[in-house]
Amino acid sequence: MKILIAEDETELQKSIATYLERDGNVCEMASDYHEALYKIDLYEYDLLVLDINLITGSGLDILKLLKRNRSETPTIIISANNSLDDKLEGLDLGADDYLTKPFHLAELNSRIKAVLRRGKFGGNDRLEFHEISIDTRSRTAYVNEQALSLTRKEFDLLLFFVTNKGRVLSKEIIAEHLWGDHSDLADNFDFIYVHINNLRKKLTEAGAKYIKTAYGSGYKFVEE
Amino acid sequence: MGDTLKKIRLIRKTSKTFLGISALLMLVSTVALYFYLRNLLQSEVEEELRSTEARIESSLVENPEPFQLSPVVEIQKVSRLGNEVLKDTIIYDPSQDEMEEFRELSTFSAINGENYRITVRALVVESENILIAVVISYLVIILLVFLFLFYVNRSKNQKLWTPFFHNLEQMKRFSLSSDAPIALMDSEILEFSELNTEIKLLTNKVRSDYRNLKQYTEDVSHEMQTPLAIIQAKIENMINIEEPLDDQQFEQLTSIQRDIQRLSQMTKRLTLLTKIENNQFANVEQLDITRLMAVTVQDFCEISNNAIKVDFEYPIKVDMDPYLATVLCNNLVSNAIKYNIAQQDIVVGSTVDDISISNAGTTPLKHPDSLYNRFYRESDGVKATGLGLAIVKRICDLYGFGIDYRFSGDRHVFTIHFGKK
Repeated sequence: MKILIAEDETELQKSIATYLERDGNVCEMASDYHEALYKIDLYEYDLLVLDINLITGSGLDILKLLKRNRSETPTIIISANNSLDDKLEGLDLGADDYLTKPFHLAELNSRIKAVLRRGKFGGNDRLEFHEISIDTRSRTAYVNEQALSLTRKEFDLLLFFVTNKGRVLSKEIIAEHLWGDHSDLADNFDFIYVHINNLRKKLTEAGAKYIKTAYGSGYKFVEE
Repeated sequence: MGDTLKKIRLIRKTSKTFLGISALLMLVSTVALYFYLRNLLQSEVEEELRSTEARIESSLVENPEPFQLSPVVEIQKVSRLGNEVLKDTIIYDPSQDEMEEFRELSTFSAINGENYRITVRALVVESENILIAVVISYLVIILLVFLFLFYVNRSKNQKLWTPFFHNLEQMKRFSLSSDAPIALMDSEILEFSELNTEIKLLTNKVRSDYRNLKQYTEDVSHEMQTPLAIIQAKIENMINIEEPLDDQQFEQLTSIQRDIQRLSQMTKRLTLLTKIENNQFANVEQLDITRLMAVTVQDFCEISNNAIKVDFEYPIKVDMDPYLATVLCNNLVSNAIKYNIAQQDIVVGSTVDDISISNAGTTPLKHPDSLYNRFYRESDGVKATGLGLAIVKRICDLYGFGIDYRFSGDRHVFTIHFGKK
């Protein structure tokens, strides 16, 4: 996938690119409003990661221009502003998702994949990983065409693991993905162990052993 | 010390002073009048007695036989002359048929070789009556004058101070969060007018300082998110590098992730507080708060280690911003979860117009007054932003809901009263 990251903080640009490129994506950067406009005009991208507060202009204006030109490039907004109004405005303008800073790269990655699934492949709701197949529309997961009975959270967890396969996911990242702002509620992450262990058990029973422990307290979804 | 002074209303104070001075003046002048008049009357009586005596003496020259006109005139022949006596005496008055007080003058004089004692008397009652009549009428007149002056003075004072009282009320109603300009009543009194100018200057200054402070909070919160995002992203790339970390390094990195999350939560909540104070949630809708609460509890159930029991008798409809309503429910429930004791239930209940939520605890809060203050934490044990309840309070204040806390039966109970205060 060819992704344009329009973000004025170069450190953040680089970090995002590093993370996404490990999946084989090609990332290009734009550090300000004009550079972003220039690159969008010149090249075709599969996805645009767009910061709203670009030094020389607003990311929302770029979005408006894109939509006026009937561009179908899916867009994910990343913004330091977490107000509901700004989110709604971004989504109304045609953004496919809105992520508030600070975010985990794994979260951005899973959102990017969700947007790409919905968009370019004409609504391909199926995600495959060896014998595992995930139908995101009916929210059902299969191992060897055998449906697993997963709870809502277990399904979200599996999807998150598969979209971030090969990545180390700390409990903090997982908790924030599953519970968002409420993830600070429990001091220990007991409830995460419960969910992960249940999911792992169900996958193992079906013959899919991919969830591995990393560094004692993190997790990794890996091919054997 | 200012606050040990007894407070009294301005108009009352001036009225009281006026009344006090008036009473004193009345007393002194009446006493003075009394004595002056009495002296006057006494000397008048004395003069009269003396002139009567002189007339009797001259009549005795022509007719030496003494005569009586008791009790007013008594003439006696005496062997020796004595000293003149002037005194008050009480004797029987046959015309009134009772004992009366008289002023009596006894003189001795030798007329045609005979010694006489001449006693003349005059009734005192009459002069006393006059004295009393004059004093009373004086009192009545002066009382009326003072009363009249008092009321005139008071109404005049009240009118004079009206702008002052009006402006005082305005200042009492002054609120930092509202942008309504303070409406001061102008006055022809120079000092009041100057006071108004100063008040306006002060309130404007306070407001602009407050605005700047809020803006500052918002800016800082906002500007902090991007550096946090950079740190966060770098950590994530670090835990995914090719050469593996050791477990301890990983632990430290994830601990930083937790702290970033806390910091980010805090700034988000601070921004929310500022927005509530700025009245940026104007989208008021009628909603069923009990239903929303039930949904919230459901969302939280799987995070909570302990059961959350919900028992709503009636639905409660409230008019408020739906987003703030969600925040209200979230913060109440998460607060209860955070401070609950293991193996104890959290209980959510309702009556006609209030919802209460309680969690188990061992001791009542040490400083319940500070409960809703920003960054107030009862204990250091729980990692909290210290903003959750401050937000709850702000939302309640915004819509005029009441909120109270009590500790009973080893439970911390928060109750929100949705009926208007």
